[in-house]
Amino acid sequence: MSGLDEIPEDERVRIASDFIMAAPPGEFKEVVNDVRILLGDDRLLTRASSVFYDYATEQFTTVKVDGGDCLVTKVGSLDSAKRFVDPTTSKSFTYNFLKNEASEVEEVPRDTNVEGWREAVQSALKGYLDEVYPAHVSAVYANLADDMINLTICIEDHKYNPANFWNGKWKSKWEVSFPTAGGHSKVTGNMRVQVHYYEDGNVQLLTNKEVEESVQLSSPAEGAAHIVQFIKSSETAYQIAINENYHKMSDTTFKALRRNLPITQSLIDWHKLQSLKVGKDIMNR
Amino acid sequence: MNHGQQLDCALDLMRRLPPQDIEKNLSDLIDLVPDLCEDLLASVDQPLKIAKDKKSNKDYLLCDYNRDGDSYRSPWSNEYDPPIEDGSIPSDRIRKFEIEANFAFDLYREQYYEGGISSCYFWDLENGSGFAGAILIKKTGDSGNKLFKGSWDSIHVIEVQEKGAGRNAHYKLISTVMLWLHNSRAESGSFELGGSLSRQAEKDSAVSDMSSHIVNIGQMIEKMENNIRGILDTIYFGKTAEIMNKTRSLVDLKGRAKMDELNKQMAEALKQKQNQTPNKTAQ
Repeated sequence: MSGLDEIPEDERVRIASDFIMAAPPGEFKEVVNDVRILLGDDRLLTRASSVFYDYATEQFTTVKVDGGDCLVTKVGSLDSAKRFVDPTTSKSFTYNFLKNEASEVEEVPRDTNVEGWREAVQSALKGYLDEVYPAHVSAVYANLADDMINLTICIEDHKYNPANFWNGKWKSKWEVSFPTAGGHSKVTGNMRVQVHYYEDGNVQLLTNKEVEESVQLSSPAEGAAHIVQFIKSSETAYQIAINENYHKMSDTTFKALRRNLPITQSLIDWHKLQSLKVGKDIMNR
Repeated sequence: MNHGQQLDCALDLMRRLPPQDIEKNLSDLIDLVPDLCEDLLASVDQPLKIAKDKKSNKDYLLCDYNRDGDSYRSPWSNEYDPPIEDGSIPSDRIRKFEIEANFAFDLYREQYYEGGISSCYFWDLENGSGFAGAILIKKTGDSGNKLFKGSWDSIHVIEVQEKGAGRNAHYKLISTVMLWLHNSRAESGSFELGGSLSRQAEKDSAVSDMSSHIVNIGQMIEKMENNIRGILDTIYFGKTAEIMNKTRSLVDLKGRAKMDELNKQMAEALKQKQNQTPNKTAQ
């Protein structure tokens, strides 16, 4: 099968991008390195490099900014797609995708039109995050457009343990838009979990769920409480459902695929199995 | 960048990319590095596909070991589909053995899997030192309401070095089991848990005739599958769940931190009390 025609460069760039985009959490560098060697042409890797932005923002990659953890997200990206803002500290930074480093940190003035709501949600959220996330990193973004306040909440928590061949991440994104005067509005959420175990194998959990609910948003404090309550109940219910799946699948689906032992409750007598074949041959004559 | 280095990277990549997309990823990988094609097809396990032998109306499994070009050999008819000239087939001795093995592993499959499909393919080793084979098993299942679906693929590759004028043999087994679980309950959204684990084993055994190989290989594979089944249980339903629950807790962490602090204070108080009465033994 050698002697296959080389595929066009565009295709090679597309394949390289697809591979990098599919890197499990915590393994971006390793996948980029593999792809680099397989491409065998750094010029093509440069062409594919816009995927670094897609990957980092999709994953809510965390980066240290002045000692604190911040998120890299689409909603937090500034014009150039190389600079991002952290709404908690109100700082912007340049992000180096390959090194996972922040630089050129600057203070950014807060938007007083939305800061009341933004801060209220951030404060209510922290109380909840501290309850259930061992190492959460989050960001509450807010902006005003056409008399509508747009809030986006990004949450992530990960555990990386490459020395033991596993990595895992939980992330969720919540959005709501409402008039500046407040009102009844729909909150939409997307929760996603990915776990990768790769000692002598490759096992992955891929799960995600979308939810939505209308909440009352009359004042920042009250609205924030409602939003966070919805996030809490959705995430808790989802995690419980995932654990239920594990129990059910272990008890039923897995057992139904292959038994522990034959119905005789003992290992097969392979010598006897042989004589069955001989018997069958005799019968077939 | 040499061939060996590229193959290492390709295999590393296949261990990291979601196994749920194995076929697409393998296809893209071969397109990207055509020189690695044969090596990749031989070393990357894929979920087993099923084909029907039109002569016997029996199913058989497809893998790289019964492939020649774009055709696959049926273990029942020993013929290629689509037909090809000079397709690679085993010697008479090995074909006879292959028929016996298929029969034996059919029975094995029935006892452990109560359904499913199995296929065995054997071939002579080029240096004449023995023979090798691939024993494949596939089983799928779902819950009555189709909300839970599962699929199991066993791929065992055995190498048999015949020694001592056929009275001894050295067996080397490399086994991969792929396990795919899928769930469509609304409460858990889209849920996929899948992939594979691999293990190896070696042993020496006495041999009286070709049938002894069936017994030796059968025992080895049975032991290996039972072992891997246990490991799959631990990794899939224990380890991955544990990792997931490490990223978010169902237990109130602040409440637990308070409890831990309280317990610590009580332990300190108890210790101080014991230090004040040194002649009394601790309860």
